[in-house]
Amino acid sequence: MQYTDFAPHDLILLLQGLGVSIALFAATTAIGLAIGLAWAMLRYYRTPLLSPLAALLAELLKNSPVLVQLFLVFFGLPVLLETELTPVQAALITLSGNTAAFIYVIAVSAIESVGRDQLETARVFGLRRWQILRRIVAPQAAAFALGPLTGLLVNQLQVTSLISVIGVVDLTKAGAILNLRTLKPFVVWTVIGLLYYLMARLIAKACARVETRLRAHSEWKGL
Amino acid sequence: MIHIEAVAKRFGSNTVLDGIDLRIAPGEVVSILGASGSGKSTLIRCINGLEKLDGGTISVDGHRVDDPKQLRLARRCCGTVFQLFNLYPHMTALQNVTLAPIEVLGVPRKQAEDDARALLASVGLLERADAYPGQLSGGQRQRVGICRALAMKPRYLLLDEVTSALDPEMTAEVLSILARLAASGTTMLFVTHEIEFARQISRRIVFLERGRLLADLPTAQFFAEDGGLAQPRIAQFLSKMTK
Amino acid sequence: MTFDLAPLAPYIGDFAAGARLTALACALALAGGLALGIVAALMRTAALPAVRRAAEIYVDVFRNVPFIVQLFFLFYGLPEIGVRLSAFGTGVLALSLAGGAFTSDVIRSGILAIEPGVLEAAQVSGLSRLAIYRRIVLPIALRSSVRPLGSVFVNLVLTSSILSAITLNELTGSAKIVASDTFQPFEVYAVLLLVYAVMTWLVSLSSAALHRRLNRGQG
Repeated sequence: MQYTDFAPHDLILLLQGLGVSIALFAATTAIGLAIGLAWAMLRYYRTPLLSPLAALLAELLKNSPVLVQLFLVFFGLPVLLETELTPVQAALITLSGNTAAFIYVIAVSAIESVGRDQLETARVFGLRRWQILRRIVAPQAAAFALGPLTGLLVNQLQVTSLISVIGVVDLTKAGAILNLRTLKPFVVWTVIGLLYYLMARLIAKACARVETRLRAHSEWKGL
Repeated sequence: MIHIEAVAKRFGSNTVLDGIDLRIAPGEVVSILGASGSGKSTLIRCINGLEKLDGGTISVDGHRVDDPKQLRLARRCCGTVFQLFNLYPHMTALQNVTLAPIEVLGVPRKQAEDDARALLASVGLLERADAYPGQLSGGQRQRVGICRALAMKPRYLLLDEVTSALDPEMTAEVLSILARLAASGTTMLFVTHEIEFARQISRRIVFLERGRLLADLPTAQFFAEDGGLAQPRIAQFLSKMTK
Repeated sequence: MTFDLAPLAPYIGDFAAGARLTALACALALAGGLALGIVAALMRTAALPAVRRAAEIYVDVFRNVPFIVQLFFLFYGLPEIGVRLSAFGTGVLALSLAGGAFTSDVIRSGILAIEPGVLEAAQVSGLSRLAIYRRIVLPIALRSSVRPLGSVFVNLVLTSSILSAITLNELTGSAKIVASDTFQPFEVYAVLLLVYAVMTWLVSLSSAALHRRLNRGQG
């Protein structure tokens, strides 16, 4: 192999990798949010069989390495189901599920943080469970959940780097390619690290903005 | 001798101590009285170096408190008992008392523990020597606090509202110990709200009002019509406190 | 759709070897991370702004960059400056550095939660700065940190699976080999998932037990 120096084309590779990372992060966050919230609904409505099962599944996903989950889906599922899975598909499935598990836990704890007395008062007034959820629980739970949510998002961003191991050409894979070709690990990995760092900072800042806006609306909570 | 000269202390724009002059001689029992916010606790905290002076000097047996090199020596001469006890939560009563003698004075462990048990026995806590602060009542904790201060054999004992956080029954048990100490010749500087107690055991009363020394009189004179009570502010304070 | 665990049986030895390597790496990284974390936490609560800033930068960087990037940086970069570590050594180093950042957060919280009055009592009794840190600050902070440190350790165990990416045959690395040997990746990785879940569950139990033991009688 010929070892070459950096070329303008490398910038494109880097940006492509960055794009893939961001796209996957956004997609899995959205899907994970939807699934996780649906799980939390199971718990809120106390669905008999599904609710404890959902809790168990969430615990399993939270307490096992994401890399192993990726391997299970990418290498294991195709053999089990006798189908084909592309790396991107496997990444989508795995990371969405993983994110969903954490969202579930955060949502459950946020819902439970809303005082029981508020729920009882609402019931006495004749509001139905769904209305209580929409009007009373959700806004307060959202404000409560934002702190843990920020931490989760930053963490899940970093977790996306693992999809490079199953072959997705994300930012980390782009770095691996460049590293192998140019043999300049300090430059390559510092740049990659810096890009992830900046993205993490952006996410944290965005969440902080949302938090101040949410809290401003629920200021009257201190009655 | 504790020399307090022209001491001033500010918190932001708030002047808490405004030119205090005071002397405490060995063997004296002095009470500092005054309304909340008059600067009483701040004065004690300046003496043991927990607050930095904004003006004036304090020296304990010749060691200047505002000089970092001499502060440690000044602190060796003083023992402090706190309103909120401030016991080390992760250590037993015995360990609380022996920590400083072992670490600072280099007393051998066995010796330190024997001395500590003697101290705890004198306040009636020998059977609780291996209890943790979390397992003790407020009064018991404060008694351990007193032992902890005494373990260093200080020349001056500084007591900062040591019964304010206790209920009447515990207050009584702590006050009786302090009365015993005063009678035995220990030099004590009290900040207290217990007027009757101050009257009974102090040789001298100092009255602070808004950071200024309004009176520094022998006890009998302080409570006399033509002495301390002649000052309207003091009379007002005493009548409110003894209602 | 079949689920057949039988072909895995002969490979239990390999799994065990991998598990031992994981346990060793994590134990070493915990020690290293704890040491680093204590130092960083002390620096972050120090009086000098420059000292605080240095520690804050360390924590900031290692918390916001993916672990695999940190690992590759060390694995490919260290030989360039003449430092030749084995894959195991590099892995433990990377885990320690990352672990230290998270540990320092926990210990810093523990330090800040100490009642100021307790520190004042220690100061006026004449204890030196070193003695106060050694006998008061660290014992109290560490006692209250046991539970959250347990979480950090759980994280460490899960993160250690990434060490398989630098050819270390710890648990995940061994599993990869077994999976390709047996052509039964689903069974292998499913079992692996459960093994990790059990390991982390044991860590959580231990840290809860340790917490109870250290804090008995303290109300």
